Amino acid sequence: MTNKVRNLLCSIIMLVFGVVMFVLALDIPHKIPSDVGSGYVPKFVALCIIVVAVVQLILTLTRKSPDDKKKEKLFDDAKGGIATIVLMVVYMLIFQPVGFICSSAIYLFTQIMLLSDNTNRKPLLFAAIAILLPVAVDALFVFVIKMPLPKGIIGF
Amino acid sequence: MSVIATALANVFNPMCLFLIWFGTIIGIIFGSIPGLSATMAVVLFLPLTFSMEATQGLALLVGLYMGGISGGLISAILLKIPGTPSSISTVFDGGPMAEKGEAGRALGVGILYSFIGSVFGIVALIFIGPALAKVCLMFGAADYFGVAVFSLTIIAALSGKDLMKGLYAGLIGIALSLVGMAPIDAVTRYTFGNYQLLSGFDITVLLIGVFAVTDIIMAGFNRRTLSNRLQQKKYHLKGYGLSVKEFIQQIPNAFISSVIGVGIGILPGIGGSTAGLMAYTAEKSRSKYPEKFGTGIIDGIIASESANNAVIGGSLVPLLCMGIPGNTVAAIFMGGLQVHGISPGPLIYDKSGQYVYGIYFALLVAAVFMLIFERLGLPVFAKLLDIPKHILLPIIMVMCCVGAYSSNSRVFDVQCVLFFGLLGLFFKVFKIPSTPLIIGFILGSMFEENLRQALQASHGSWSIFVTRPISCAFLIIAVVFCTMTVRKNLKEKKAAAAAGQAFDTSEEEG
Repeated sequence: MTNKVRNLLCSIIMLVFGVVMFVLALDIPHKIPSDVGSGYVPKFVALCIIVVAVVQLILTLTRKSPDDKKKEKLFDDAKGGIATIVLMVVYMLIFQPVGFICSSAIYLFTQIMLLSDNTNRKPLLFAAIAILLPVAVDALFVFVIKMPLPKGIIGF
Repeated sequence: MSVIATALANVFNPMCLFLIWFGTIIGIIFGSIPGLSATMAVVLFLPLTFSMEATQGLALLVGLYMGGISGGLISAILLKIPGTPSSISTVFDGGPMAEKGEAGRALGVGILYSFIGSVFGIVALIFIGPALAKVCLMFGAADYFGVAVFSLTIIAALSGKDLMKGLYAGLIGIALSLVGMAPIDAVTRYTFGNYQLLSGFDITVLLIGVFAVTDIIMAGFNRRTLSNRLQQKKYHLKGYGLSVKEFIQQIPNAFISSVIGVGIGILPGIGGSTAGLMAYTAEKSRSKYPEKFGTGIIDGIIASESANNAVIGGSLVPLLCMGIPGNTVAAIFMGGLQVHGISPGPLIYDKSGQYVYGIYFALLVAAVFMLIFERLGLPVFAKLLDIPKHILLPIIMVMCCVGAYSSNSRVFDVQCVLFFGLLGLFFKVFKIPSTPLIIGFILGSMFEENLRQALQASHGSWSIFVTRPISCAFLIIAVVFCTMTVRKNLKEKKAAAAAGQAFDTSEEEG
């Protein structure tokens, strides 16, 4: 993605965000007559976002900079990044129903395997870390901090 | 006096001393490993402090902050990579000293002057803090609005070199602070029918997401380079690597650099790396042998390390007296104070005096622990630089989720952590700095509350902000500060364009 494309995309996204925020702020009720109301600051902030986005859009379209056409590779390894995000989403979703220990063990093992390469992949060591760490953290929270973590359907 | 005695008793008990020691050691580890930072250390351990007694919780955070800033020098010297941005200028002479086989001496000097800089900063905090708080007692709602506007201009300084992107981040931060029940009339805003959002977003969750989870996601995108190991220099060290004669010769250097560090710390928006670089430049221009700087002399390390550690005490001055977090770690520290019901501001010395003095004592103890244990533990810390990131980062992710969950005991916060992690990724993709987001989030509620209170008091008249001298002064300073920053950025941008170079929009973080 070139710098110009990045700035264009950014200003368009922010413009849409600002407009949506402003429209939603119009529905915020004004309760106290002597007060400017709870919708005042949201409208002001939304307008600021819109103004900054429009200014950046105009500047990006009109100004020429030496790094405009310079292409930058967005990510070194898109697959690894997307897989990391998917793993995190799954971890968040199963955190409560499956429980902290099991969900963390599954996440830890798969994430470490994903981040390692052929030269440093040691599944047995990773599995040991993936099991022992959540058990230790859970014990710390239950017995020392006295704040139990989610147990899930399995009960631990 | 009784307040000081209570604070002394609270800090000098075995549990609190253990927490400071633990925090300092963990901070050094986080500071020394490139890719981890002081910010990440404080963010990660913040939720653990919730269940602790206030002084103990704050003592842990103090230890993490102190150790995190100082730990950066280990990798700066042994790997020639600063563990934290604060240690950038330590590389200039620390790296060449290591090349010459003097890595041990460089480490010893760095640790000693980190301690001296820290103590100087703490002493400055002890003397400047109460005086500034007395002045701030005269402030009303309109004046605080002026302070909030001025503080929001920090965003201009924190925006790297692209003001637009910094403004986006700051405005999104304010927008996020608007979610939930509004101040004064408790009207619900932007909750989309979700009752979990009624109390708004938790600062801890936002910090963990933006500063820790984003880095782990980025590690996924860069996993091919994750296992690249760097050649570590060997070191030998006796004592702190400095003779008494050299120590006496370096007193002016340490003093001037520490003063620069405190000054930079007090000024909002400028962090340890700027302090280190400024002190290094100042010492170089003052030196009788400026040509030797960069070739591996202790003067450069002393200037850099004294200044970046003096920033710690300096940055706590505006935080404690006015509730203005000048940098990222100070912002997290503010979250820690609020969690324990301590409101930073001019009344803090009257209302929460024992905690403020507790922070002073904890800082001093942390500085001493850092001096002793960073030196003693050098062989271990050097070994830790070899910990494989593919194991460390997923473990940190699990700790992030535990931290987010424990802040309110709800899974919703764990999901928010991922949301903010993805927001941080969006920021990285579009080269938007993330520190202004935090400043905007923290100052958003202060801005709105004081604006509305002041306008209610003046029956809707906006003239209150210019007729009150303090408010007017802050608004003028805000305009001047912002104009100066914009002019400086434009100048640098033009210079970069003239040289045909790309314009870097990167930011500085703890």
